[in-house]
Amino acid sequence: MMEGTAGAGGLKKNAIGYLSNVVIGVASTAPGYSIAATLGFVVAIAGVGLAAPAVMLVSFIPMFCIAYAYRYMNQADPDCGTTFSWATRGLGPSAGWLGGWAIVVTDVIVMASLSQIAAIYTFLLFDWNSAAESQVAVMIAGVIWIFLMTLICYLGTELSARTQQILLAIEIFTLTLFAIWALAKVYINNPAGSLHVQASWFSPFSVDSFGALINGVLLGTFIYWGWDSGVAVNEESEDSATGPGKAAVVSTLLLLGIYLIVSAAAQAYGGPDLLIDNADDVLSVLGTQVFPSPLDKLLIITVLTSASASTQTTILPTARATLSMARQKAFPPSFGKIHPRHLTPSYSTVWMGVVSTIWFISIELLSPDNVLGDSVTALGFGIAFYYGITGIACVLFYRRELRKDFKTFFYAGVLPLVGAISLFGIFGKSLIDYSKPANTNTAILGIGSPVAIGVGSLLLGVVVMFFARFRYREFFSRKPEVFDPATAGQAIVPEEAI
Amino acid sequence: MANVIVVGYDGADGAQAALAESLDLCRDLEAELVAVFGYGVPIPERESADYRETLRELGEKFTDEAVRRAEEAGVKASAEVVFEKAAQALVDAAAKHDARMIVVGSHGEGPLAGALLGSVPHRLVHLAEQPVLVVRR
Repeated sequence: MMEGTAGAGGLKKNAIGYLSNVVIGVASTAPGYSIAATLGFVVAIAGVGLAAPAVMLVSFIPMFCIAYAYRYMNQADPDCGTTFSWATRGLGPSAGWLGGWAIVVTDVIVMASLSQIAAIYTFLLFDWNSAAESQVAVMIAGVIWIFLMTLICYLGTELSARTQQILLAIEIFTLTLFAIWALAKVYINNPAGSLHVQASWFSPFSVDSFGALINGVLLGTFIYWGWDSGVAVNEESEDSATGPGKAAVVSTLLLLGIYLIVSAAAQAYGGPDLLIDNADDVLSVLGTQVFPSPLDKLLIITVLTSASASTQTTILPTARATLSMARQKAFPPSFGKIHPRHLTPSYSTVWMGVVSTIWFISIELLSPDNVLGDSVTALGFGIAFYYGITGIACVLFYRRELRKDFKTFFYAGVLPLVGAISLFGIFGKSLIDYSKPANTNTAILGIGSPVAIGVGSLLLGVVVMFFARFRYREFFSRKPEVFDPATAGQAIVPEEAI
Repeated sequence: MANVIVVGYDGADGAQAALAESLDLCRDLEAELVAVFGYGVPIPERESADYRETLRELGEKFTDEAVRRAEEAGVKASAEVVFEKAAQALVDAAAKHDARMIVVGSHGEGPLAGALLGSVPHRLVHLAEQPVLVVRR
């Protein structure tokens, strides 16, 4: 009897931990916002067109491989959980510092896209279409959005796990309902311009060229961005041997399922042209056409809650990364300041809000049309870069362990390496393609703006690092380390791989 | 039950009042003081030990200050810095030391934040097994 009671209690505890692992994994990628921000631009890539769901499928592969690098590095160095500290260990201080820089700049760049989406969808929620189309109105609303979100992070207000679960349930329900509703209409009513779903949409081989697929995958990395943080958090939850592994698989399948069904339904309903024409707000345009009023508002609210969750999971880790860099004496010490009441990294948070606002305003002013698509593409470069170095850092850090058994060899060696090589490959190929202004929506100084923003921000990091080297000599004299079972302390090899 | 009084201390005005009151009580009851600081943070932040470390250092700074003031007042005192939210940290510390009561300030974070977050004393009176003394600033 006693055993039975204990077992039941334990089961319940694990069940809750398991569910919240799934929630964290899915919520930190913000599926509603990710689709709203990327789907139109993926379809718009010449040569991709109707094969957008296939791009969603292929993009997942490198992210899946890199997730193992996160898992292993997190196990050896569970303390710091950032590419900054892992790359410092595996590759040395310069790579680590640049990795930290890449995290910060990608987070700043994504704020422009987030606040633009949030502003447009806020106006659409109240049917204020003229404001949604006015650049000045969007800019003002976007700045207010950044301010509010920074304030929330500064005050340390957090939604309870329960609220997050409810919001995510609504998000998944709404997206699924939208997909089913759209497909039902396609097959029953045959609205003008609609297409029937075809198997070829899901096949990478139906993308016209390999180059087009690569360019699509660069955008696709964005929609899975954040999935890794779910995996990292998973490690610390109870029953970490099997629960998190299973949760990661479930959240992954859930995410893939949502992306495939929603992208297929969206293009079946409106055809590619509708998605391309409304790339800034695909879901709101489709929502009003697919759903009867007032149900269409549900989709808009979903994107808004998704964007707010995403903004929080952008500001919080950035502040954490700069705090970490300050503590390891690689960044100005004031970034390590903590607010004594709110217990938040106050200086880092405010700084993040201010830089994001400046970035958002200047990108809106400098490159008024279609900044959204280009900055999402630009993000792909930063993400590919720091995920890539995390993969390499993992392989080097574990290099002496790889020959010990096949599991370590495969999960800490092969997968991270494959992930890193493919991400660097995507980086290189996209760099060539997107440098040509002809292949992009906008250009800055004659270079396609995705490259100017994405690669330019990384190069700026190299310049800043040159000065940082003089200032933070102690940090920059650190040597790369190798995994040492004696100092790792914790479980060295996961008992149960994902 | 041990002759121990647990006080929540985060350096704020409310906590100052709570500390002063609990020191008076400790002297009158010849009790020991345990100064507690809880620093539980939202899930995404838990990944970073650098952040946790910074918070712990902050907590130690506060509780050291409380312990020093207690010793100046002739009260035997110790500190607990716990990775839990404030209310839970106090409940845990009270259970650990088998305390006779818990003393907290009425609000540390301002009335608005208190309303939004659900204030520590409010949670505490529901969670704690011991009597809770709420001291107004």
